[in-house]
Amino acid sequence: MRLLVVSLILLTLSACSMNEMMVRASMPMLEGGIHAMNQETDLDLAEAAIPANLKMLESLIQLDPDNATLHTYAAQGYYGLAYGFNEDTRPLRAAKFYIRGMKHGFTALRLLGMSDAASLSQDKLEAELKKLDKDDVAALFWTASNWAKWVDINRDKPEGIIALPKTTALMRRVLELDETFYYGGAHMYFGVYYGARAPMFGGDFKKAEKHFNRAREINDNNLLIVDVLQAQYLERQRFDKKKFNQLLTRVENAPDDLDPDMALMNQIAKRKAKALLTRESSWF
Amino acid sequence: MVLRALLFCSLLLTALSLNAKTVYTLKFATLVPTGTSWTKILDDWIREVERESDGRLKFKMYPGGVMGDEPDVLRKIRKGQLHGGLFTGYGIGRIYSPARVLEVPFLFKDTDESDYVRDHMMPAFEKGFRENGFELLGWPEIGFIHLFSKYPVSSLDDMRKRHIWLWQGDPLGEAFFEAADIAPVPLSIIDVYPQLSAKHGSIDTVYVSTFGAIALQWYTQLKYGTHIAVTNAIGGLVVSNRFFNKLPDDLKQLLKTTGARMSAAIREQARAENLRSKKLLEQNGITFLWDWKDASEEEFIAIRDKAAKHLRDTDYIPADIFEQTRQLLEQYRHEQQAAQSSDNTAVN
Repeated sequence: MRLLVVSLILLTLSACSMNEMMVRASMPMLEGGIHAMNQETDLDLAEAAIPANLKMLESLIQLDPDNATLHTYAAQGYYGLAYGFNEDTRPLRAAKFYIRGMKHGFTALRLLGMSDAASLSQDKLEAELKKLDKDDVAALFWTASNWAKWVDINRDKPEGIIALPKTTALMRRVLELDETFYYGGAHMYFGVYYGARAPMFGGDFKKAEKHFNRAREINDNNLLIVDVLQAQYLERQRFDKKKFNQLLTRVENAPDDLDPDMALMNQIAKRKAKALLTRESSWF
Repeated sequence: MVLRALLFCSLLLTALSLNAKTVYTLKFATLVPTGTSWTKILDDWIREVERESDGRLKFKMYPGGVMGDEPDVLRKIRKGQLHGGLFTGYGIGRIYSPARVLEVPFLFKDTDESDYVRDHMMPAFEKGFRENGFELLGWPEIGFIHLFSKYPVSSLDDMRKRHIWLWQGDPLGEAFFEAADIAPVPLSIIDVYPQLSAKHGSIDTVYVSTFGAIALQWYTQLKYGTHIAVTNAIGGLVVSNRFFNKLPDDLKQLLKTTGARMSAAIREQARAENLRSKKLLEQNGITFLWDWKDASEEEFIAIRDKAAKHLRDTDYIPADIFEQTRQLLEQYRHEQQAAQSSDNTAVN
């Protein structure tokens, strides 16, 4: 009897480690897949492939649920699927994906030693963020990105707006730890953060412009989404029609091979620029 | 032959232009940010008006303060660059200041009282707005304004020790602080958050609705709030007469009826959001102190009357408007008391 119990425990343990070993062995392939996806220039192909990749990622998470890197990849994947392919045409579907991405992000942060970010008070959250280091930046960035989008979608409820200082605290920590992460992604966040609001609501157009420009410096002005975000949020808010048009026209006319590693995001930026230009006459 | 052809073309053009419908475009600005529940209500209103007018009345909406703050928007309306807007009491005071009688501190005990007085005063307010170049379409509401501070505030003496922000250029705020013997710190609303978050900022206390404290993120720099509300802040939906008077009667009517309905929807929304926001603020570390039961009503009435006298003396709110308001409030309270006594009699 005792032998049976010991054997069962051993079997369970070895099954666990087998699963983890298998997942860890497949990590380079997974990372290669993400890299290949970022280089994709055909939006339809990317849109068709991302869901299958995400499902594969989730099956790996089932095998290795305590793997923070996998949860971070899932948070990044859901953000990409929502922002790149659903937000402008199917906002309700995008909202669901942002929530999935946010949950994976929270799990990743928990696995990295943080308490539940959503339920912490602002003071405690900021104290816990101090414990994280440069290795945790990806989890922080993708959690904050999904969470901020959730806030954006829920701006019509106080329950949504009240979370904004928390997402901002996460992104501020990214800025402190590694401002270059995801081509200056945290600077893009703060460009929108300060640019999308009137000064009386905490907006600051100079700060917004500074953050967008710093993001451009970091990515050698090769990531077109910076221009799209500046036009969509800052230029619309400060009512600069000329600059709005100029930025989006530059995006539309940019060469497809601007930077192979940012090809997919640049194609998404082009599609968004085209859609935003059709709204110019109703916004200005 | 050529002449006849020309005559025919000219007759045809005249006939076509008689048949073509005239399209009016109302350029409308507000500080309300995009994506909020209020702009969603505004968007529904716009769609309703455009549909009901069969496309004859269209809107061009500028939300989120893209057209500047309220004095900027009013300037643009007066120049004819814009035609209407949704304003707070700050902007309303620059159109027809007597309407701000509804914002006199410590005047109303609840929204039933303010609703009653407002409904009865509407004809006088509409006339006042009209005489000052605007048609008043509706009366949304910002809601009850509480004090929020970095330090506990549970008495007037506590208030006097604090560095309280005053919205620069607001005569009603000035009158209140003077009456309460408080030396406030006048600042533009733009400077409030930076000053609250600075290590040695010039203010430590502000006044705002519970929803506003969240929306403006001021609550992140504050620890305490008061249960006591200083006032119930108003809002106004207006269109310039210059635009309104050009409209045919059916479109005027459409704007008036739908505008009033939409404003009432915003009012209800604001009240619900403020209640939810208070709970959320408590959950997020704000401690609410100083309830009416801990306060001396006589002291507040004395401040209110002193502020009211100052506003009367400066003609910001004329004496007759004050008197009408006071009578209506008395009448309402009397009706309520009578209804309560008859209920008690029925029970007994």
